[in-house]
Amino acid sequence: MHIYKLLTTFLKVNIQQDLAYRADAIVNMALSLMWLGWELTSLSIIFSNTETLGGWGPSELIALLGVWRLVNVVMATIVWPNTEKFNNGVRDGSLDYTFLQPANSQLLISITRIVVWRAWDLLLALTLIVAGITSSGGITTPLNVIAFLGLTISGVAIIYSLWIVLISFTFWFTKFDNNVTIMQALMDAGRYPAQVYPVWLRAIVTFIIPIAVATTVPLQALRGDLQWWQILGFLVIGVGAFIISARIWKAGVRRYSGASS
Amino acid sequence: MLAIYKHLWQVNWAEQWQYRANLIMYLFYWLVSPIVYLAVWTTVATAQGSVNGLTAQDFVAYYMVLLIVNIATSEITIHILGYRIMDGTLSNLLVLPVHPVLTQVLVNNLAFKALQLIALAPIWAVLYVLFQPVLTITLVNVLLAIPALALGFLFSFFIGATITFIAFWTTRVWAIAEFYFAVFQLFAGQFVPLSLLPPVLHNIAEALPFRLVLYFPVQLILGKLTVQESMLNLGLLAVWCVAGYALFSVVWRGGVKKFSAVGA
Repeated sequence: MHIYKLLTTFLKVNIQQDLAYRADAIVNMALSLMWLGWELTSLSIIFSNTETLGGWGPSELIALLGVWRLVNVVMATIVWPNTEKFNNGVRDGSLDYTFLQPANSQLLISITRIVVWRAWDLLLALTLIVAGITSSGGITTPLNVIAFLGLTISGVAIIYSLWIVLISFTFWFTKFDNNVTIMQALMDAGRYPAQVYPVWLRAIVTFIIPIAVATTVPLQALRGDLQWWQILGFLVIGVGAFIISARIWKAGVRRYSGASS
Repeated sequence: MLAIYKHLWQVNWAEQWQYRANLIMYLFYWLVSPIVYLAVWTTVATAQGSVNGLTAQDFVAYYMVLLIVNIATSEITIHILGYRIMDGTLSNLLVLPVHPVLTQVLVNNLAFKALQLIALAPIWAVLYVLFQPVLTITLVNVLLAIPALALGFLFSFFIGATITFIAFWTTRVWAIAEFYFAVFQLFAGQFVPLSLLPPVLHNIAEALPFRLVLYFPVQLILGKLTVQESMLNLGLLAVWCVAGYALFSVVWRGGVKKFSAVGA
């Protein structure tokens, strides 16, 4: 109830904030649509030259694009804007005020800035996922769809946890505010199934910056490529990552001494 | 004038070294997409032997050379100048007795590029070992590539600067730059060798100048072009550079007038 109240309050504040820049929001929504056109064009170019990409058909890649965009929505709505706010807070000490508030500090730094118009991107991403799943035909069973949804959520949780760990490092190494940039740069690698990458790149996008766990893995579940124990394993990793990152955040906060002291 | 450039180079070079950690981060942006597309197209080519006459080896060679050409011709003017136009700190540059964009901003671009190329060298060497590209590079092609890359950068610089100048009129310049980036990626050969584009898109790519910035130098270095073809493309690129410069000058003059009107 408490979390729900906080969330709605912040959402209200952010809607007011974004309404002041309506034209910007519309321009950005148009840009997002343009990128969607670009991405679909690139997929159609690939599939005008081949039937499958590493065993994946066009409809599966459309669903994958949807999941990739969904992860990106989370990044662009919450992660990137709050990182900026967080880094500034560490530098000028305004983070002190966050810790003084009687609420979970991790929750506060995650949702103070919400880019509201990104709801449009969420809509586009969900449309792609639904379009991809329905056009891929009979191979998907309801059970696969449930596994897909579960793994998508746990994949997003893993990426979010990685972000929390990375920004927590700022408490130990003050000059660490660039770390998130690498995450941002590697996001592009999630647009295609990890199976097409050479082993070393697959290792990077699976273990170091696990963008493939959030994009390729849910799609594999949808295709029925995963055993039940693999699905369970990834879900456990998702929950585990979330718990561990919260611990690291708390340990980091204890080290925080403010910019002035 | 030469002394001015020499001095500016020293200042900018030292300044870039100060931010070397950031530089390596930015390098990732240029690295990821060519490697991803390399993987995608080699997968397709390996599965069916070749794509439209291009083998997996051809794709590896294409994207490995593209990595270098990409950085050699890239420009970051909007990152240098965009916010200065919006917050008014451009004034400091305007009082210079020389054209600020053709001196300070240009040299800043070049210093950034030089350091990026140095940072790229060891990464490229590792990728060379990982991907084992077959590159047959001749001296003639290297000699022809130097003016091609220089002119390619100059053309991108004029267009990039012109787009940045839109900031004199609207703050939504970033959206316009992003749109340009998407168009450029598709029609310059960043995503795919242009010969694989469907006929309609291929014709558009042929008519636009962007292919001269990436696709042409890559093909040139890979030895896919005759000397005549290379000279013809070089000439065409030079003409586009002149056109780019004309556009750059006109928009700059208009923009500065607008800028002083706001400041006064």
